[in-house]
Amino acid sequence: MSQDLKQPNGTDILRVDGLSKKFGGLKATDGVNFSVQENSITALIGPNGAGKTTVFNLITNIFPPDEGTVAFFGKQIAGWSPMDIANLGLIRTFQSARVFPGLTVLENVMVGRHRLIKSSDFGQMLWSPESRREEMRIRSQALAMLKIVGLERFKDAHAVDLPMGAQKLLEVVRAVMGSPRLLCLDEPAAGLNDTETEELAALLRAIRAAGISILVVEHNMSLVMNVADHVVVLDAGRVIAAGSAAEVQRNPQVIEAYLGREQNAAA
Amino acid sequence: MAEVLQIFVGGVLLGAIYALIALGFSLIYRVTGVVNLSQGGFAVLAALAGYTFSQRLGLPLPIALLCAVGGTTVVGLAIGWFTFVPALKKLSNANVLMLTVGILTLIEGFSLIVWGSQPYSVPAFSGEQPLEIGGLRITTQTFWIIGTAIVIFLAVWFVISRTKVGKALRACSENPSAAALMGINVKRMTLLSFTLATLIAAVAGVVVAPTTTLQFNTGQLFTISGFIAVVIGGISSFPGAIVGGLFLGLVTQFATAYVSSLFSNAIALILLLFILIYAPTGLIPSKITRRQDVREEPRVWGHLTRLAPQTAWIAAAVGIVIAVVVPLVIPAAYISSLTIAAIIFLALIGLDLLMGYTGQVSLGQAGFMAIGGYTAGYLSINYGIEPVFGIAAGVMLSLLSALVLSIVTLRLRGLYLALATLAFGLLIDSCAIGFIDITGGPSGMVGIPSFSVGPLYFDTPMSMYFLVVAVDVVVLFCLFGALRTSFGRALQSIRSDQMAASALGINIVRYKLAVFMISAALASISGSLLAYSFNFLAPEMVGTARSLELVSMLVIGGEGTLVGPVFGSVLLTMLPTIFQPLAMYKTFFSGALLILCFLYLPRGMYGVIAHAMSRVSTPKTVANSQGLAEGGAQ
Repeated sequence: MSQDLKQPNGTDILRVDGLSKKFGGLKATDGVNFSVQENSITALIGPNGAGKTTVFNLITNIFPPDEGTVAFFGKQIAGWSPMDIANLGLIRTFQSARVFPGLTVLENVMVGRHRLIKSSDFGQMLWSPESRREEMRIRSQALAMLKIVGLERFKDAHAVDLPMGAQKLLEVVRAVMGSPRLLCLDEPAAGLNDTETEELAALLRAIRAAGISILVVEHNMSLVMNVADHVVVLDAGRVIAAGSAAEVQRNPQVIEAYLGREQNAAA
Repeated sequence: MAEVLQIFVGGVLLGAIYALIALGFSLIYRVTGVVNLSQGGFAVLAALAGYTFSQRLGLPLPIALLCAVGGTTVVGLAIGWFTFVPALKKLSNANVLMLTVGILTLIEGFSLIVWGSQPYSVPAFSGEQPLEIGGLRITTQTFWIIGTAIVIFLAVWFVISRTKVGKALRACSENPSAAALMGINVKRMTLLSFTLATLIAAVAGVVVAPTTTLQFNTGQLFTISGFIAVVIGGISSFPGAIVGGLFLGLVTQFATAYVSSLFSNAIALILLLFILIYAPTGLIPSKITRRQDVREEPRVWGHLTRLAPQTAWIAAAVGIVIAVVVPLVIPAAYISSLTIAAIIFLALIGLDLLMGYTGQVSLGQAGFMAIGGYTAGYLSINYGIEPVFGIAAGVMLSLLSALVLSIVTLRLRGLYLALATLAFGLLIDSCAIGFIDITGGPSGMVGIPSFSVGPLYFDTPMSMYFLVVAVDVVVLFCLFGALRTSFGRALQSIRSDQMAASALGINIVRYKLAVFMISAALASISGSLLAYSFNFLAPEMVGTARSLELVSMLVIGGEGTLVGPVFGSVLLTMLPTIFQPLAMYKTFFSGALLILCFLYLPRGMYGVIAHAMSRVSTPKTVANSQGLAEGGAQ
């Protein structure tokens, strides 16, 4: 299915080949193939239970695949620890916002920078000038990020006190702080209202403009159709279609998967 | 052969006792997913009450025992109702575990007030004349104990597997949310399991009493043995409690008989550490899949207590001035206990880093104090080594032990981690008592010189005090530098969400190891300074009771706040010194305070003070209109 697709130009940065995972007798994913191109927003969509989040968890190795490979910039990353994958520049968010309690909003964003910290623990203990300068730099970067998503005035609030929508945005900018080469977002629009979804779409475009590729698992069709360069449709653990948003929308198999066999496609 | 059989009977007897305590652990764990370390406390409470009712008030034995068991169960019900059940909603699993340490301390403190610190012995139920069976001499109480154990196990088995209540209890243990949806009152079931466990512990206590001497703090021993037994057997299965108990009892008995009584504990503990490495779910894994680390933790334990930078610097300056001025104005007699408070604070900082910031429970911190203290003391006494090098040697040895221990602890979380560190503390404890040639054994190590650097002697309380305060300040300054930057943020993210932290590229193993090492080093330095300051070191100064006291001090002062523990340390060290008559109430109050802080003051005394200060320093008008910035002044 995925061979005849028209992809945006650029090189593949993530290639997923034949990814399969069984939970008990249930095939959560079954030979999933797709790729993500540089500087693109790729959306992974599908009805409930299609295996989208499973694919995500297989890519970031929250659990290992039964079969198949994941190549990121040509490196086989199946079996790598989530930490090593993150340090390669593939950073993910979670379906339920996982902001860190006990830290302020600003500090939560600053944690995202962690993998790029240069000053040593000893330097920090001895209040070395470099570590203090680096801290200042991270702080101003984080503030700039918060400004972009309009959360600046809550910078000193306890992160878990934010409303859910704001927590999800916070999680996205926290991931962006790590300068990912590929940002993987797991249902970033879940729980957002329409205005917030608009803001999210603008944010995703801004992130792409900054040269960061995005792979997004999403339920919210308006967001996907709005921002995605390339859409991969999963159903029952398989890729049933791939292509541009418009192409996918016209694909009869996709319509069937979403609306059911008996329904009129015009709906 | 007869000898082996005799030892075997002794082992079975001991095993039955352990199994009874272990059963209570298992019961509560199955329903709530946490371990209740106060089990042993209730057992001793019942036993002491039984002694008073039968020996002092002259009640007939059955009535006295019934009253003791009934009274203890009611106390357990009340404690469960007011502390344990509400805590489950508010606290993380690790903190509930600490809360039960508080309950244990509370019970011990109560016993100390009522019964004093002298040992009691209770007469056997059916006379002291042992029975002779085929050449074996078996005390009559053995039959009572084993009989009681069998009756209780059958009764619990019957309730759990054959009654409606049992079904509800099992439902709670498998899936509390689903159980609640089916109309089961999970809260009531939790309370029921707590009370049932108390009842079992109480019965065990009164039956076992005649075979042992009772003291206010015997409960710790019961708790520890039961805890070890239940983990060896497999915590979420009832047969596991029996198997673990018997296994532990037999191993201890045979080790005592054929190796050495001094090291029988050590052997059991090393065995436990191996089991934790190779079969962390115990010898009899349960069919129930739910594990402690899977319980849905209430996500309320993140609290934000921050001072504005200017306020923090002023507070630090004021703090240092107070630390310098106070010893000059208070009576000279108090200075040495102020010094102790400052020394213990050093160990507390390490524990705070470990528990408060990284969420890693440690019940064995005093083990490192012991290593540091004995190493420094031994080298100084026998080789006249400079104290600074003595301290350094202690730190090296502590780091080495921490590295070995971390092989076990890095894979463990929550209660298994608590147990592993507890076992480590106990192991060091039994070494301190056992290696008499090196440590001086139970009577302690005498003749440790005072601290000195070259020609500078710190042999007066005042000079020692300022030395320790200087060390404290330097350590605080360094750690504050790290905690306010990426190091501290990494720790706090690991504490609250390991998966999210690793998805951001944070190296969890590295940070846990680093923090464990720092805390071991600080505890070790603290132990060395304690030895140099007292010129003497005894096992109980750096034993498990000290480890538990450190936890109390930490929570009362404020965990997760770097300087908070100083309040806990000073309060619990100074008050008993200043108000001598109150000294016997210390244990009780530290337990009560620990519980109250956990339930009502999540950042301890520091939280209260910081809140007051930020009230003063930030005008009310800045208060966020969205109602978001609760205590969020950075």
